[in-house]
Amino acid sequence: MTATLTPPQEQKPAAETPAQKPKVPFKYRLNRFDMKASPYLYIAPFFILFGLVGLFPLGYTFVVSLNKWNLLTGPGGFVGLANYGAELTDPFFWNSLFNTVSIFLLSAVPQLIIAVVIAAVLDQNIRGKTFWRMSVLIPYVVTPVAVTLIFSSAFDEKYGAINNLLQFFHLNPIMWKTETFPSHVAIATMVNWRWTGYNALILLAAMQAVPRDIYESAALDGAGAIRRFFSMTLPSIRPTMIFVIITATVGGLQIFTEPKLFNPTTATPGGPQRQYQTTVLYLWDLAFNRQNFGKASAVAWLLFLIIVLFGLLNFLISRRIASTEAKSSKRKTARILAQYNENKIS
Amino acid sequence: MKYSRRTKGAVALAGVAAFALLATGCSSGGSTASSTGSSTDPITLTVTTFGTMGYDDLYKQYEQLHPNITINATNIDTGDNAKTDWQTKEAAGAGLPDVQAVEEGWLSAVMQVSDQFNDLSQYGANDIKDRWVSWKLAQATDAKGRIIGYGSDIGPEGLCYNSKDFAAAGLPTDRDQVAALFGGDNATWDDYFKVGAQYKAATGKAFYDQSGFIWNAMVNQQAEGYYKKDGSLNVDGNATLQGLWNKLATATASGLSANQTAWDWGKGKAFTDGTFSTFVCPGWMLGVVKGQVTSAGGDATTGWDFANVFPGGAANWGGSFLTVPTQSKHPQEAADLAAFLTNAKSQAAAFGVAGTFPSVTAAQTDPAVTGTNDLSTFFNNAPIGTILGERAKGVVAQFKGPDDSVIQSQVFGPAIQEIDSGKADGPTSWNDAITLLNQLVVNK
Repeated sequence: MTATLTPPQEQKPAAETPAQKPKVPFKYRLNRFDMKASPYLYIAPFFILFGLVGLFPLGYTFVVSLNKWNLLTGPGGFVGLANYGAELTDPFFWNSLFNTVSIFLLSAVPQLIIAVVIAAVLDQNIRGKTFWRMSVLIPYVVTPVAVTLIFSSAFDEKYGAINNLLQFFHLNPIMWKTETFPSHVAIATMVNWRWTGYNALILLAAMQAVPRDIYESAALDGAGAIRRFFSMTLPSIRPTMIFVIITATVGGLQIFTEPKLFNPTTATPGGPQRQYQTTVLYLWDLAFNRQNFGKASAVAWLLFLIIVLFGLLNFLISRRIASTEAKSSKRKTARILAQYNENKIS
Repeated sequence: MKYSRRTKGAVALAGVAAFALLATGCSSGGSTASSTGSSTDPITLTVTTFGTMGYDDLYKQYEQLHPNITINATNIDTGDNAKTDWQTKEAAGAGLPDVQAVEEGWLSAVMQVSDQFNDLSQYGANDIKDRWVSWKLAQATDAKGRIIGYGSDIGPEGLCYNSKDFAAAGLPTDRDQVAALFGGDNATWDDYFKVGAQYKAATGKAFYDQSGFIWNAMVNQQAEGYYKKDGSLNVDGNATLQGLWNKLATATASGLSANQTAWDWGKGKAFTDGTFSTFVCPGWMLGVVKGQVTSAGGDATTGWDFANVFPGGAANWGGSFLTVPTQSKHPQEAADLAAFLTNAKSQAAAFGVAGTFPSVTAAQTDPAVTGTNDLSTFFNNAPIGTILGERAKGVVAQFKGPDDSVIQSQVFGPAIQEIDSGKADGPTSWNDAITLLNQLVVNK
């Protein structure tokens, strides 16, 4: 590539006699500029778009959060970080954060475990591969509003399918919509139903990229399916695992549609006593029911920071888990090698 | 060289794309305003309504009368969702329709930004302002005397009851006898709860669907509700409200409430399976009851009837206005359409479809309102228009403060759930409500 761009006769003399530098032709300089600058231009559309619809709102939200700001009547004076202080001492903010984390844990943990298992099963040499792979994606295709409508009917306290079934077996009905833990389980179920297949497919793609011959040689060495899964598959898909965990964290902490539509007729969004009012729902409530745009923006920023924190934490933990695995196996290998050498010597 | 020429082309393309993005991003806000005043050019008017307003046929009529106008109507399922929709577009400064329906419950929020609505007296409001009952017009007039909305319906409340359930409990079923049973013109909440206890003793079933609507009616029928007329809060230490609250809590604790999810009612099943037998009914609610019963597979034989009585005296719940936001590019045409939709004939027609009781005096006595229609047939041929006209007597508009809907839903909502689910008694739940009031409204 370089050969076509730079005529060879110009190169050497220029380097040997720096005193009388020959004039670089315009065409050459243009080419060099082209080489250096064009990649940035290629990726520019994304960054311009990101600046417009991502960075600008982020900055604007921050400005709003520093003001007393009514949604309808607009700004009402600079208050500095007072909105943040008010929110950090507001029990409803912490309640929403507790609900969010609770629903997040109830959804993300089982979801990722099941997704890995499904991916591992789909990774096997089974009949009708494409059919099964497509099938796990179906829940993801269904719009969340439809999912929520169906599930909120099923979880209805008086007329819902699940409580009817429980009562059929003479069990006590569960208060899915008015008690904290059951409502979290119900919402987590909706999230899991929708996202498990999606994550399974991403993990499957990563598993497909693991070279088959190392499995073969491991099998020849006597490693069973479970051993191969934990010692080879999991460490090999580590980067994808991290990606899936981070995206699940971001999505899980931003949960809104499911709790919003779970019991849409309740007077307070997120349950009569805010049993499942997640942080985004709280933010929405602040902005649109209580018209406090300033505080809502402060909550948005706090949530942003919390998500970054959670993301970093998850990244570190998931990296550590995978690398201790690798480290311990390395140590094991070293020990076995040492033993083998000793045996050979003695 | 071929390679680099192609690269240059791509650079140019990327640059153009980037600038195109910037350009489109910037230009979307600045659109040219068209002329005001009636024109014969073909124009499209957008209308946003909510719930059941019964305008579909009227739109068609209007389009036939005005061949140059196309109406693009959006109906949002509930008033709350419509409020969110309006607030979002109002805050964004774009996207509002030419005619925006506004509910009484969020009128106080609307009044905060009344300058964002056209003063309809510049578009002919003064010629027609005698149409409405005087308090309806007063509600739509802002502090500066600008008329920002044309009243559509009002919400005088009567009592819906299920005659079959009443028969099963040995109570009278004839609607006049039922009215007398609850105390006729002097009906009180004590009478209501007393009949409820009788009903409960006879059938073992609940009397009303949930406490929220009862509380709403109790508050609405006071001369001053959550706010005093001077705009100050009127909840903490309000002996009248607290007394009513304790009455409601006691009745609920004795099993008169079915603890239903309001606006859902098990997808209407609770209306057909005898879960409860009475229901507070402003005019527009009649359409809702019919819709719920029908969606659960019931019909006129399910037994719902409408009695000319309301505990505690005259009460008004809800009612709407049609406004023309300043964002409208055709304010004159939009105001004309709003005037058409709220004239006596239109209101009478809408009543037949949705039970929305007219706020226009001429329409209240229109045969289409007082006579029979689909809705009255559904309610065992009850003269619903005549009854609602009776129920409208003595109704006055209550002053609604800026946080009225927050107090209703977020301060008393949790307290109502507490008493309905048996988690707390009257005094405890009242105190919980006051705590929330301080947190959400007083020290916001």
